[in-house]
Amino acid sequence: MQIRRLKTGGCIDRSKPIYFSFNNRLLDGYEGDTLASALLANNVSLVARSIKYHRPRGIISAGLEEPCALVACADEHGMMIPNLKTTEARLNKGLTARSQNCWPFVELDIGALLQMGSALLAVGFYYKTFMWPKDWWHRVYEKFIRRAAGQGRVTYDADKRLYDKKYAHCDTLVIGSGPTGIEAALSAAESGVSVILIEQDCVIGGSVLWEKTSTDSLTTIKLKQYKNLRFMVNTLAFGQYDHGLILAVEQNKKNVESIFWRIRAKSIVFATGATEQPLVFPGNDRPGIMLAAAVRQYIYRYAVIPGKRAFLAIADQQERELTEKALQVAGVEIVGSLGEGDQITGTSGWHRLRKVHLLNKKSISCDLICVSNGWISNAQLSAQMGDKQTFATSLEQRPNPQQHTGSAKAFVDLQNDVTRDDLALAVREGYSHIELAKRYTTVGMGTDQGKTSWPNAIVELERLSAQDSSRVGLTTFRPPVSPVSFGALVGVETGQRMVPIRRTPFHNAFEKAGCVFQTTGDWLYSRYFRVGKESMNDAILREVSAVRTSVGCVDMSTLGKVDVKGRDALEFLSRVYCNNIDGIKPGRLRYVLMLREDGILYDDGTVAQLADNHFLVTLTSANAGQSWRWLNKLLQLPWPDLDVQLTPVSDHWASLAIAGPQSRNLLADLNPNFEIDKTSFPFASVKQGLLDDDTPCRVFTVSFSGELSYEINVPAGFADQLFKRVLDKGAAYDISPYGLETLDALRIEKGHISVGTEIDGRTTAADLGLGKMVSTRKAFIGSSLLQRPVLQQPDRMQLVGLIPADGSSTIPAAAHLTDAPWQVGKTQTPLGRLTATVHSPTLGHSIALALLERGPQRINQKLWAVSPVEDKSVEVLVVGNCFYDVEGSRLHE
Amino acid sequence: MLLIPCPNCGERDEIEFDYGGRAIQYPALNNSMSDWHMVLHQRDNSTETIEEFWYHQSGCECWFKVTRNLNTHEFES
Repeated sequence: MQIRRLKTGGCIDRSKPIYFSFNNRLLDGYEGDTLASALLANNVSLVARSIKYHRPRGIISAGLEEPCALVACADEHGMMIPNLKTTEARLNKGLTARSQNCWPFVELDIGALLQMGSALLAVGFYYKTFMWPKDWWHRVYEKFIRRAAGQGRVTYDADKRLYDKKYAHCDTLVIGSGPTGIEAALSAAESGVSVILIEQDCVIGGSVLWEKTSTDSLTTIKLKQYKNLRFMVNTLAFGQYDHGLILAVEQNKKNVESIFWRIRAKSIVFATGATEQPLVFPGNDRPGIMLAAAVRQYIYRYAVIPGKRAFLAIADQQERELTEKALQVAGVEIVGSLGEGDQITGTSGWHRLRKVHLLNKKSISCDLICVSNGWISNAQLSAQMGDKQTFATSLEQRPNPQQHTGSAKAFVDLQNDVTRDDLALAVREGYSHIELAKRYTTVGMGTDQGKTSWPNAIVELERLSAQDSSRVGLTTFRPPVSPVSFGALVGVETGQRMVPIRRTPFHNAFEKAGCVFQTTGDWLYSRYFRVGKESMNDAILREVSAVRTSVGCVDMSTLGKVDVKGRDALEFLSRVYCNNIDGIKPGRLRYVLMLREDGILYDDGTVAQLADNHFLVTLTSANAGQSWRWLNKLLQLPWPDLDVQLTPVSDHWASLAIAGPQSRNLLADLNPNFEIDKTSFPFASVKQGLLDDDTPCRVFTVSFSGELSYEINVPAGFADQLFKRVLDKGAAYDISPYGLETLDALRIEKGHISVGTEIDGRTTAADLGLGKMVSTRKAFIGSSLLQRPVLQQPDRMQLVGLIPADGSSTIPAAAHLTDAPWQVGKTQTPLGRLTATVHSPTLGHSIALALLERGPQRINQKLWAVSPVEDKSVEVLVVGNCFYDVEGSRLHE
Repeated sequence: MLLIPCPNCGERDEIEFDYGGRAIQYPALNNSMSDWHMVLHQRDNSTETIEEFWYHQSGCECWFKVTRNLNTHEFES
């Protein structure tokens, strides 16, 4: 029953009733209502319990500044969304809301017993009390303090609602659609610039909606006349960032929970209005004590009377007259007014206000106190970018000082239950600056961002510490102006949508061939190929055996590929790579190393010469993006005079390497239109032509596996066809496609280095046994700083191989090398660390690569590979870093 | 979030760019170790402006140098 609803007036639609539930009671309101106005219409005054003392609380305001009336609301999936302001929540059909912070229910809350011990609960109580025994903090105290802390409860369920993001640009952005905002938007639109007007409320108008007669329909028509003006309601601008960026959240949309807007504007008009401040007096938190302008808003905009007998505590004369007029219009009896110099000494009533007590011992019976302590401009958004505010300019009207200290609590921050006594304690303990007092007492730190508390806190601190407000300071305003849900910020980028997945051109064909994939970097890459019901280890054994004895094939498409052309292409490459590559001929390729400017090894790859002044460079998959960026940087910044054109062609080619003793026969079966015998197509060469099905191809003789190998590159669209033909023709050799596991096992057997394991940002080429590849007769990137003594020291860690000393034990992964087994409590100096470990299918035992101090000098020494994580020590024999075909003869067979 | 002046594309949103670090004057490759050391590792720590490189990664892929005011984030030309 809406017993507090006026018969006429207001911006509500009485023909559209809306039913909703509050604490399991079925109530009704009208379209246009907020949850707060509907509750007041139904004469519900007790809405919530306060955070610390569980005191009964009602609705204080009619807007974003609401500190008290927070509830939990169910969304359409039944999930409870905590801490929603009743003054902000629009009334929807079927809305289900519940009071929080109370048990068993809001009218009878056991937690309210806490008030009896409230003398103990002053600020700093926890810090001062729970100090001993020392280890009790995390074992005992923290658990029950955490249970008692906080407002609403969050759910552990996944959020099923849909959140979206959008971008907008404009010449002028107007924030706030009160009289000022509308005027600004219209005059900007008149001048022809593009304008966006955003309003947090559900309709345009701001204070026009309740301070004067309703003119919003007229205004909307006016705004719609301009094609260059766009207005958005239900949109909260919550943050201002550099160069005119405003972040905003638009709510109450159909089919989507919210839209997160990034609006970039050339100029911004902050027409964000002002917030009325409450009075601090004993018992100022009882349900029924309300900001004067909020009372007017409920009467004029929602046609609701928040009380029947009103007492006025308003200093400003104009504000008082406006409020008196509104109360008279609504037929509310005015039972008294706080006179000049008068003091409120307390209030009484339990779940709702009954009486106000004054200094002259007079008690007045009332159920509504309209309070106003002046207005503070809503400058949070403009202050976020460092616009300095002074207190004097922001508080337009200084208050009628209410200094009476009764026995009842006088709340400065209604949300966080911070009282005047708490601030006094903070001042006594030396925290009189607002930034210190805020952190000590939590004043202004609630979800309301202190909109109704920080100005009063400053006034109180100023008085309590007897300093002027410039010494007390101002709080720092940070985004968001009002709480924004994490869902809105995250948008749709959750779960699988967080990072885009890259698939190679062979993905679909591999999937049909039984491939098991894994993510490596951005890529979803083949891990191994399962035949029947075999395990991964069996698959790896089979795949390795195929490569070592017959032929296998592997996807190389993730390698970065850069086409380098131009008169100075070779000069550019010989500056970038540390190798001597000036002797390269068309049709040949080189294994090359790239150093950082400081001489540390950065990347390896190949340079293939396709024609005069035309090269193809490969970059390791993991570094492909970074290396591309680096090559461009060098060419554009220090060397713009070089005649070189770089083209990224990584995605243009599908690259399948066939590896193994039978790979040449398999290539022959594909009938390329060029010679492929040992002499005309030796190791480290490149040939271009056609396969017999007219597939254009580039074939490189490079090997990561240590076997004879051909890397067949075809335009990406031919990937399916190539893989199918390789499998068909390879069937005669019992071909096996292989993935990352086998690729890694093969390269560790060969002692080939890899980015991220051996090339780890700390090693030099010499550390990895590749010192001979570093040119001494030219300058290149990193050549100067490679000469730094620290990089030339003989006791650096260098690459070696390890095998178990007993020939059979498993070497633990990521172990450290020491000269004694691992022993708990004993300090050992590590001599080195393992970079890669694998059970070698070819050798039949565990092998490892390691970086070891003076490694090559320790060959044939015995050390211990110790893993404190696995609590395991294995004695290992130091060997060379190549375990298989040390001479490399298989490459040239 | 900055609005960064790309020499080719004009002012674009920061998310299109990759930061290239403090701008340095690259020495010739055959310059001495100490030249490279001074340029690469010795940095002044101004509180006023910084010269820096940006890379228009999601745009024209241009590398360029700008001067940014560290207090206001305004770019100076």
